[in-house]
Amino acid sequence: MAKKVKSKGIAMDASEKFVTGFAYVLMTIFALIAILPCLHVASKSISGGTYVASGSVWFWPRGFQLETMEYILFETQFFQALKNSLIVTSVGTLISVIVSITTAYPLSKPSFKGRKVVTLLYVFSMVFFGGIVPAYMVVQMLGILDTYAAMILPFAIVQFNMFIIKNYFEGLPETVEESARIDGAGDFTVLTRIVIPMSTPVIATVTLLYAINYWNNYFHAMMYVQSTSMKTLQVYLYDLINSGSSFLENLASGGYTGEGVHTGLSVNITAEGITASAVTLSIIPIVLLYPLVQRFLIKGITIGSVKG
Amino acid sequence: MSTPPQNSLVNRVDPTQGSAFSRKMRSLGSYLRQHWVLYLMLVPGLFFLFIYKLLPLWGLQIAFKNYKIFAAETPWKAITASQWVGLRHFKKLFASSQFAKVLRNTLAINFLKILWLFPIPILCAILLNEIRNAFYRKLCQTMIYVPYFFSWVLIFGIFYSLLGSYGIINLLITSLGGERINFFGDQGIFRSVLIFTEGWKEVGYNTVIYLAAITGIDVTLYEAAKVDGANKFHQIWSITLPGLLPTIVLMLILKVGYILTTGFEQVLVFYSPPVYDVADIIETYVYRIGLGQADFSLATALGLFNAVVAFILIVGANTVSKKTLGRSIW
Repeated sequence: MAKKVKSKGIAMDASEKFVTGFAYVLMTIFALIAILPCLHVASKSISGGTYVASGSVWFWPRGFQLETMEYILFETQFFQALKNSLIVTSVGTLISVIVSITTAYPLSKPSFKGRKVVTLLYVFSMVFFGGIVPAYMVVQMLGILDTYAAMILPFAIVQFNMFIIKNYFEGLPETVEESARIDGAGDFTVLTRIVIPMSTPVIATVTLLYAINYWNNYFHAMMYVQSTSMKTLQVYLYDLINSGSSFLENLASGGYTGEGVHTGLSVNITAEGITASAVTLSIIPIVLLYPLVQRFLIKGITIGSVKG
Repeated sequence: MSTPPQNSLVNRVDPTQGSAFSRKMRSLGSYLRQHWVLYLMLVPGLFFLFIYKLLPLWGLQIAFKNYKIFAAETPWKAITASQWVGLRHFKKLFASSQFAKVLRNTLAINFLKILWLFPIPILCAILLNEIRNAFYRKLCQTMIYVPYFFSWVLIFGIFYSLLGSYGIINLLITSLGGERINFFGDQGIFRSVLIFTEGWKEVGYNTVIYLAAITGIDVTLYEAAKVDGANKFHQIWSITLPGLLPTIVLMLILKVGYILTTGFEQVLVFYSPPVYDVADIIETYVYRIGLGQADFSLATALGLFNAVVAFILIVGANTVSKKTLGRSIW
């Protein structure tokens, strides 16, 4: 209570006022830099074609329309790509989390025989990456090119994530496990009934890390998959952005006025609008999950990510 | 471990017989019988580890071979069937101007990123901490953290919308009578685009790390400093910054350790032939000559060189961090 009175009693001195003011101004600018580009793309995606092409859409839609969104959703491979991304992310995350837990648990036991050798193997493979070509050759040799497996199995275990779980397991109190063992529980029962329920925060964090990894990855999905029907959302989006620009440039070079309106389609559908709509539709799932993501990842950064 | 359990069946038969070695084996045997489930648990992880992380190391030998994809029935068997050529690919590589270029680009881009971006999250964390209004502080933090969860393709899409030929910035410039700026194709500008977008994605995440470290600083230090008449600048300089120092050093060490291996996906998504001269980094070059031009041996040689140097840097960084801060990544 005394503290409260004191901090209220002493007026802010000049330096404090300056720092606080500076903090409000600069952090507001930073927050705007982070959010305005997103707002711009989203506004563009639902604005009328002529407004988009004339550059009068900034951070709020003008000439509201949903035709571009409809075009993306129903005339392109969007849903197929979304489906592929959902499959890779959900199956991949499930496999990764299970395998990471079952690997982390034995390695977290100080008395586990063989612990040092196995841990060293994981550390070594974490810091020494053989390179893209040999990795590709292995996937090719296994005959899984152009399948979901190629986008999941090579990345099933991210050593760093496994170590986060292992560090957390190591910090759990021994006594709970011991009392369960006295009651006759075996290793598997102890893991599933005691250790995992005690570790939900770290497991949630690692689950999100894996899910983000799978969802956001572009390179592996591009390298290991060729057919159009197997493309993930990231590959689809990349192709669309690049073809969108050439689409517009072709039109522009062909004596086109440069207003960016495709003659065969509605005036609302522009190359710029198409890119913006696809980007906006890809942002939506992340924004929906964001509260969850933020909750666990902010916590997660402080748990076990770096060995203390 | 050295004292055999008296009630164990094996020892009851003949507790005195056997050397230290065989006693050890017996105790190992009983450990395995008791904890075989733990070993079973390791199997799926080790399976992935061997197939996808260690088996590729076998393929690294083509860096020392003249790899011919049709030297055997399958590309994989062709690895063993191809002729050894010693260090030929490495000599060719180190003599090429391309190698010097991609090495220079890798170091330059990542060094510039550290130079421009490293201090920003530290500043953000300190300033966020000075915002009294909890709601506003949380709001700012949430907003700058959002882009961290976007993929590079998504970020490319967002910035394409802003900076592309028909993006809003260029539309503004042309409407004011200026010349279009080719942000993604101009060699003088492209690296700035890489640095800015890297900052846009990563600053929020790193800020959260430093904020967590600030929370760990003892509040009574500030109270005491205030009593002694220290103003806000003094407090930041002599309490907050020293409190953050271990985290700052750790982050810097890690950044330097990963200087050869970061930024691949960003460059791959953002670059195009007009900017190869300033943007092509080791890994994008490996990818292009390896899977693009099918020069597998040369690409593998460069990949191996990169892996070895990166390995030394990362292990070195970890050792330095362990020695100076008592903290390590493994």
